[in-house]
Amino acid sequence: MTDVYVDNFVYALGERKLHVTESEAQGLLLSSAADLMAAGFEWHHRCEPDTTAYDLAVTTANQLVRGPLDGVDAIVYATCLPHNANVGSAEEWRRTRDVKHLMDFPASRLQADLGLDGSVVIGLNQQACTAMLGSVRVAGALLGAEPDWQRVLCLTADRFPDGARYEQSYNLISDGAAACVVSRQPAAFRVLTAHQITNGGLSDASDDETVGSYFSYVARLVRETLDRAHLAPGDVDWVVPQNTHRKTWDILSRIVGIGAERVWMPSLPDAGHVISADNVVNLASLVESGRLRRGQRVLLLMAGFGLNWQSLILEATGDAAMPASGRGSQPDHGARELAERSVT
Amino acid sequence: MGHILITGADGYLGRQVAARLLRDTDDRLTLTVRTADPGRRAALADLLDDRRVDVVPADVRDADPFAAVDAAGVTTIVHAAAVTAFNVDAPTALAVNVEGTAKVAAFARRCPRLTRLLALSTLFAAGRRTGTVTETRHDDTAGFVNHYEWSKWAAERRLLTEADAAGLPLTVARLATIVAEDGTGTVGQYNAFHNTLKLFCYGLLSLMPGDPKTPLYLATAEFTARGLAHLARPDVPSGIYHLAPAPEEAAPLGELVDLAFDVFERDPGFRRRRLLRPAFCDIDGFRDLVEGTRGFGASPMRQALDSVSPFAEQMFLAKDFDSTRLRTAWPAAPATDTRRLVEATCTHLVTTRFGRRAP
Ligand SMILES: NC(=O)c1ccc[n+]([C@@H]2O[C@H](COP(=O)([O-])OP(=O)(O)OC[C@H]3O[C@@H](n4cnc5c(N)ncnc54)[C@H](OP(=O)(O)O)[C@@H]3O)[C@@H](O)[C@H]2O)c1
Repeated sequence: MTDVYVDNFVYALGERKLHVTESEAQGLLLSSAADLMAAGFEWHHRCEPDTTAYDLAVTTANQLVRGPLDGVDAIVYATCLPHNANVGSAEEWRRTRDVKHLMDFPASRLQADLGLDGSVVIGLNQQACTAMLGSVRVAGALLGAEPDWQRVLCLTADRFPDGARYEQSYNLISDGAAACVVSRQPAAFRVLTAHQITNGGLSDASDDETVGSYFSYVARLVRETLDRAHLAPGDVDWVVPQNTHRKTWDILSRIVGIGAERVWMPSLPDAGHVISADNVVNLASLVESGRLRRGQRVLLLMAGFGLNWQSLILEATGDAAMPASGRGSQPDHGARELAERSVT
Repeated sequence: MGHILITGADGYLGRQVAARLLRDTDDRLTLTVRTADPGRRAALADLLDDRRVDVVPADVRDADPFAAVDAAGVTTIVHAAAVTAFNVDAPTALAVNVEGTAKVAAFARRCPRLTRLLALSTLFAAGRRTGTVTETRHDDTAGFVNHYEWSKWAAERRLLTEADAAGLPLTVARLATIVAEDGTGTVGQYNAFHNTLKLFCYGLLSLMPGDPKTPLYLATAEFTARGLAHLARPDVPSGIYHLAPAPEEAAPLGELVDLAFDVFERDPGFRRRRLLRPAFCDIDGFRDLVEGTRGFGASPMRQALDSVSPFAEQMFLAKDFDSTRLRTAWPAAPATDTRRLVEATCTHLVTTRFGRRAP
């Protein structure tokens, strides 16, 4: 397999930071605020009414605009909600009945807005919350298949539609976007393996079934991922999972044989489950913590709505990991204006 | 002709034992029930057709529950009344299972013709002890997993003390978990065994608390009722019996879970969902799961976990229940093929969608 590397982990969160009690008062939750707090959730981030998932994407990508994105050969643009993979106006579609309004693709816009002229775009929108990890896997495969390509921008961006509940399967949700760059040149992390399990048979699973099947599938995902990389549980230095109930990894770590002290998800209280972006938010924080050492292996895991499970094992190379512009940010309307200007 | 009194006679085993004793003896039967509610009588309709049978309300929490029964003629008492939920609270377990049993013993002392006081207990009266468990009285040093277990142990202790003091012809039958009516696997009463399988089958649980090697002692109602009828006979020595499969007939938890999934996977609907076999977890992991889902309100998962959690710890506590005394006193005791029983029971559960539709 071609050696591929990944770094430049950046993200953006919805600009309204709300306490779980405020969201409870606004009727945005199914569980009580107290129950969600007992699970470790506290704050979450929602977009302002006029901020789109695409705005989040632009804000995120703008953190990389000078430097890492130069000469990007492809953009893999991933969304959890297929709805976020179209920026066309619903109103225009209804008025004109012209389907072009149903296929106004954010990835193409991003290519134009950021001036990534030499890149091609690929959309991923059927992998639920695992889409960010899926995009890295696809990027690695593309670099393997295209000997002339050097770099692929992986980006995920989602916001829930107006009126949506901000709780899924007992998780408090944040709107957010995340990105990273997968490259052929050595960078902060070498990708040791990527793995995916899909079970379409659970497509109509209830929240309880999603939670119910979670443990056996994650245990299987860990087992198979380690097997693919010819590693044992003891070879994993860090687990960077999705933000979910604080007890989850107390349980799983014993089943998979990776100590709970090696699990890194400090953003749980502050951000909740940022759809596909959790791994990036947590990995950025691990990098920033200074605790990551050269040669350490990081297992990133994600479950997607009971249907998809994806993972990556990365090995820290010790090279520079973060873009100069820093880790997370919030959508600024400069970015949005840039997007709008480009369209008109 | 004798006169048999059965407590908890409209309960699952009470009815089965009553039917068998009616068939096997010429005795008169007094069925005592907690409530005289006419709706509940329907459960006894088959038995009440027989003119030898009468029904007497007797709540064992009352001061003298059997005041209405003429003690003079009673020859046999079968005590089947109990609160049997694993998650019973301590005061209820004490009032019904322990003090209620003491009242049965007090009544027994007033029965001059009594030849047998047969009390239904459970293998779980052994509590947290592990290793070989003999058909002898237990102390409580190992502790108990839930109030139900404790109360059944405490009831045994009261009875044994009373029997020693008053010379009662006491037999304590410690029963295995009943999973089906008979070898057909038809389920007559749903308990924690079936509820756990239901969680797996519906994808609501993918963790199994326990050690895959822990042996499970499972039985049919037919085996149990036959055994109880036998142990009720005056010519069978009194004492403590494990009315259960022999140790070599018990099967390990891990194997039975696999067997259950083999059966579930024959169902195309189940297969399509590709639910994985559960991961075995330690007790702390399971407690974390139970605590972690506490906020899930009245969700099906939460309710189901509530039924599993009170006995989960037993799945780590391997016991070999010696039943040499039973097999000596009941040489005709039928053998139990645990694997075949579980397979038949799971087939019934899948076919009836866990009791929601006709087989
Ligand atoms: N079934 C098994 O797998 C199993 C295994 C091991 C041991 N056992 C033992 O076998 C015995 C019978 O169990 P089962 O399965 O037949 O249980 P069951 O179906 O729950 O029957 C229990 C009976 O006890 C009655 N009862 C409860 N509280 C009472 C009270 N305060 N006064 C008078 N009666 C009361 C119940 O009446 P209401 O319904 O009106 O409350 C019911 O008729 C119990 O001692 C149990 O510990 C059973």
